[in-house]
Amino acid sequence: MSHERPTGGPAPRVPDDATAPAAPADVPAHDPAAPGGDALDWQRVHPVTPLVRGWTVIAVLLVVVGQQTVNGLPEGQNLLEGDRWWQILLGILVIGIIGLGYSALAWRMTSYAIDDETVHLRSGVLFRQQRRARLDRLQAVDVVQPLLARFFGLAELRLEVAGGGDSGVKLGFLKEADANRLRGELLALAAGLRVGPHGGAPQAPGPVGAPEPGADAAVPDAAGPGPAPTGPVAGPASGVLEAPEQPVTAVQPGRLIASLLRSGATVGLVLGILAIAAVVVGTREIGVLFTALPAVLGFGGYLFQRFSGEFGFRSAISPDGIRLRHGLLETRSQTIPPGRVQAVRLVQGPFWRGPDWWRVDVNVAGYGPTGDGSEAKSVLLPVGSRDEALAALWLVLPDLGTPDPRALLDEGLSGLDEGEHFVGTPRRARLLDLVSWRRNGYAVTDRALVLRSGRVFRSLVVVPHERTQSLGLEQGPLQRRFDVATFAVHSTPGPVAPKVWHLDAHDAARLLDAQAARAHAARAHQGPELWMRREDLPIDPTGVPAGHAPDAPDAPRPAGGDGGAP
Amino acid sequence: MTVPDRPTVPDHAPEPAASGPFDPPGVVWSRVSPRLATARLLSAGIAYGVLAVVGVVFLVLFGHWWPWILVGVAALLALWTVLVVPRQVRAIGYAERDDDLLIRKGIMFRTLVVVPYGRMQYVDVQAGPLARRLRIAQIQLHTASASTDATIDGLEPAEAERLRDRLASRGEARLAGL
Repeated sequence: MSHERPTGGPAPRVPDDATAPAAPADVPAHDPAAPGGDALDWQRVHPVTPLVRGWTVIAVLLVVVGQQTVNGLPEGQNLLEGDRWWQILLGILVIGIIGLGYSALAWRMTSYAIDDETVHLRSGVLFRQQRRARLDRLQAVDVVQPLLARFFGLAELRLEVAGGGDSGVKLGFLKEADANRLRGELLALAAGLRVGPHGGAPQAPGPVGAPEPGADAAVPDAAGPGPAPTGPVAGPASGVLEAPEQPVTAVQPGRLIASLLRSGATVGLVLGILAIAAVVVGTREIGVLFTALPAVLGFGGYLFQRFSGEFGFRSAISPDGIRLRHGLLETRSQTIPPGRVQAVRLVQGPFWRGPDWWRVDVNVAGYGPTGDGSEAKSVLLPVGSRDEALAALWLVLPDLGTPDPRALLDEGLSGLDEGEHFVGTPRRARLLDLVSWRRNGYAVTDRALVLRSGRVFRSLVVVPHERTQSLGLEQGPLQRRFDVATFAVHSTPGPVAPKVWHLDAHDAARLLDAQAARAHAARAHQGPELWMRREDLPIDPTGVPAGHAPDAPDAPRPAGGDGGAP
Repeated sequence: MTVPDRPTVPDHAPEPAASGPFDPPGVVWSRVSPRLATARLLSAGIAYGVLAVVGVVFLVLFGHWWPWILVGVAALLALWTVLVVPRQVRAIGYAERDDDLLIRKGIMFRTLVVVPYGRMQYVDVQAGPLARRLRIAQIQLHTASASTDATIDGLEPAEAERLRDRLASRGEARLAGL
């Protein structure tokens, strides 16, 4: 019990679940496949979960039937003619009921438990699966609310660990307030804070099972393996146990729309429509319209996906890391703990140059590859002015480790040629990259490696030294002819691939060597995985509920790292 | 702000140039077994053999002239492979430094990868039937990055095992988070 969690809620806090897992919470799951004998307190997810999950099946069926009906059958008959319609309805009903039944069974077989170091999840009907995620390996925590779940006030908690692929743990669906509270608790545990009733900190409904003997947690006397203790419900349902946060940036819908209008997809959409119109007018064949429609719809769908995913984007900083909230239909509230961002990229397309807008993407190990940004998980800022983009970068790396960060970043964002800070492609190699050889370049600060590239699509990548995975050097025959080489930093899967092309071969070799040494030194000094387990971190002792921090302490260091500095 | 004891390596320090960017000074490269060339030639030979057989069959069945192109291409590719593969195998090198493993490859398209031991997530050792017959094995290092291509092919099995254990133990000693 070394630290006190900054929280607004009085102790002990219990779930106000009059409707929530009432029956299942009272009776811990006893399924035969479960390894018995553990003292964990297994919890079920919300009983409405099957409905929320299963509805997609019904929706797909409806779409298929609807399409068949609209398009008509080959013989020209209509599915809904005569007495066919009730057969179809019956079919949908039967399939729906079967699906619902399976989902209900899956719900019954799904349970989770949390102890001081691990999240356990059991799931699967035929193939039982038990998954444990270590909290000190937590890379990000998301609370996701699909549209239907929002109607029910439910949310899914997604814990991302760096296993790649589908390695995260999804706890869903839970009541929104429960999900938020659980997120706070998990982050507190992951941060290295111990949560228990003695400390006055909120107590989890389920998580406090029997702690490991070695753990320094106070064993809560009230919490046995049985049901959660009940007590007076205090405080507002949400925002409890959330670390205080400071808003940083909000993207207005108008600017988001403007930024999308200025994107390449809009250009593609307009060109596509014009081309189709021209062909239709030219050939007087309406059929062309239908064959070309999917392509146009693709652009449109991409734009809508971007819009709905990045709508209402807000970012904030808290001791638990970076908080991002966004989404129109499906809302997502992300928390990326300090030191979990592996690389940052600021990009600017050709049409964003006028207003000087930038987009900021990040690599986070748990989020995995997201393709071309169609998924809004790895976005730190969908669109913003240069200052806002630099503020987003500051969220990740408050101290760039250079006396004049603004000058360096300005040179990186819009500079050309070698300047005060950047080392670039030598003039002799300009034939290899006629467009952007003047932009290629790198700069090194005490904390990070800064890579600049792209003339039309400007891009600036920042990789903190301690986040370097491995380094690479490449040289093709043409590059050897000009005595240049390409330097790459290998980062975790994500939208950012840090690379700088056509450096002078000796510069590149020196950079490789120096960077290996720098990364090693930075790793040795990096902050702990449990980011709160430090004596010197300023924590605001006056617990202030989320979003109401009057004078929040200096923003914590997100990139775990000026760490070892005494 | 800055860590005082960080080793600062000047970027533009005049430094005696080594024999190219792919030969860091003071690194002694370990080479892989020449039997890797045999293995690669054999597997390439099987592929070209199939191609040649198809060409010959067409030649016999139809008597056209154009299958000669197929045979000719196969022969040229085979010649190129025979010339290049042994050199490629000789160009593979790896070196264990105190904190990282270096792997270099290639003649035309050269690559050099630096993998810190503390960044290794796991190590794979593989040997297919042909490789087992030839007593070579492949070792692959995985970091949290999918773009890390750290594979050493053509190791003696004993060397592969030694390297595996050594890398695993060094990785454990220097393990850091992501």
